[in-house]
Amino acid sequence: MKIEIKNLKKRFNDNFVLKDISLTIEKNKSTIILGQSGCGKSVLIKTIYQLFSFDDGLIFYDGKAKVDIDKFSMLFQYGALFDSLKISENIAFTDFINNKTNFNKKVISLMNDVGLDKSIFNKYPSEISGGMKKRVAFARALYKNPKVIFLDEPTTGLDPINSDKINELILKVITKRKITAVTITHDIKSAIKTGDHYYFIDKGIIQDKGDCKKILKTKNKAFKSFISGADFKQ
Amino acid sequence: MKFIENIGKALTSIFSNIGKFILFILFFFKYLFGPKFYFKNNIRYFLNVFVSSIPIIALTGIFSGMVLALQSYTGFSRFSAESAIPNVVVLTLTRELGPVLTGLMISARVGSSIAAEIATMRVTEQIDALKTLNTNYYNYLVTPRVLSLTLALPIFVTLVDFIGVMGGYIVSVHRLGFNDNLYLLNTIDFLKIGDYLSGIFKAFVFGFIISIVSCYCGLFSDKGAFGVGSATTNAVVISSILILSSNYFLTELFF
Ligand SMILES: Nc1ncnc2c1ncn2[C@@H]1O[C@H](COP(=O)(O)OP(=O)(O)OP(=O)(O)O)[C@@H](O)[C@H]1O
Ligand SMILES: [Mg+2]
Repeated sequence: MKIEIKNLKKRFNDNFVLKDISLTIEKNKSTIILGQSGCGKSVLIKTIYQLFSFDDGLIFYDGKAKVDIDKFSMLFQYGALFDSLKISENIAFTDFINNKTNFNKKVISLMNDVGLDKSIFNKYPSEISGGMKKRVAFARALYKNPKVIFLDEPTTGLDPINSDKINELILKVITKRKITAVTITHDIKSAIKTGDHYYFIDKGIIQDKGDCKKILKTKNKAFKSFISGADFKQ
Repeated sequence: MKFIENIGKALTSIFSNIGKFILFILFFFKYLFGPKFYFKNNIRYFLNVFVSSIPIIALTGIFSGMVLALQSYTGFSRFSAESAIPNVVVLTLTRELGPVLTGLMISARVGSSIAAEIATMRVTEQIDALKTLNTNYYNYLVTPRVLSLTLALPIFVTLVDFIGVMGGYIVSVHRLGFNDNLYLLNTIDFLKIGDYLSGIFKAFVFGFIISIVSCYCGLFSDKGAFGVGSATTNAVVISSILILSSNYFLTELFF
């Protein structure tokens, strides 16, 4: 699905988070969103997902303003797993609450894809580590075979090996299942590896955009210092 | 000027909350049985609430009945009307203390946990996650809690009535020297079905109040740990006050 966002504005009371965001998410491509902590990346994808309303601007989904959000799925930044349900029930949530019982095979294969051991199948979210929770949340997001997947920092908090595994999985998912992906990340290496296009947000607007393979050649000052870790506020 | 401004702000916030709360109740009825009704989930929640509340219900009943017998003895012995104790115990319990004490105890025991659980779910984005998984949170969270409590409270009140009468019986017979058969006979003879039913009607209302207020406080809590804390406090305080005030009007209704 192609998603076009035009002059999007979003505020919380008098906190203007998104001041003027225009971007295009290409169909079956991987779009990367970058930006400093607190710049509104999570708010942006939740607004696109229609979890938040917005104050001004336009969003078109395949050219239309209306969309069936059941075609989307989201990996939340902090997992957002259901504490009272087992890992398997979390991953197969919709089937589980609709009393379907034949989801075990699918759950195990997804757990395998995201690099989770079968031993946590019957555990509760409070019994597994933060990085594991993230991968459970990823498995849950993949379970419903979405057309568009939103990934809010899928590799933050993971060790390099598991990070790489998740990146491989993102690539595999996009190419094999023909999914449109929108990924928020702080990790330039992941962005280069898994992304097609990138957008860099700062102070509520898009400061830089381009091809992920050319991230390191950017001429934008703010984005350059974001990459190298220097403070560009002065 | 600042002072007046603050009063204005507080008033606006109260009225907007009342409006939001009324809308919330309307939505509850709209989504009561649809788009989805998670039957198993409803049953599981009911059993969970029921089993976990039995101990405090038993304790509430037994001690209220016992203290009622002792206190009415103090009063009635002054004009030699001790024989009225069984009647006073059973009437006070079924019409007043049973529903009100059960309501207050359950709002502390269950209402607080509903608010804390749902507020935590809001803070940790689980409510957003429900939406992304095509699940209506009224169907999945609100309906089971409101239905369970509204149906469980009348059962709890019946138990409190029964255990309370037993408490009064134990104190009257073993401590105050009543004839045991006579005590029970007096209790049964005197009680009219209407007394019991008026208490049960109150129980329905209180169960609805506790659950709907607690769900509302949880769902519309502020972010963060502070939000969870205040959601819990608000749920207990608001439902207790609504129980006590509506109790007066319900009593007036059956007077
Ligand atoms: N539900 C909300 N209510 C009020 N303000 C919010 C809400 N969600 C986010 N904000 C505000 O929006 C701003 C952007 O938050 P957001 O979570 O999008 O940041 P982010 O770019 O995802 O940062 P990070 O990289 O740390 O996750 C913050 O100032 C935050 O306080
Ligand atoms: Mg974020």
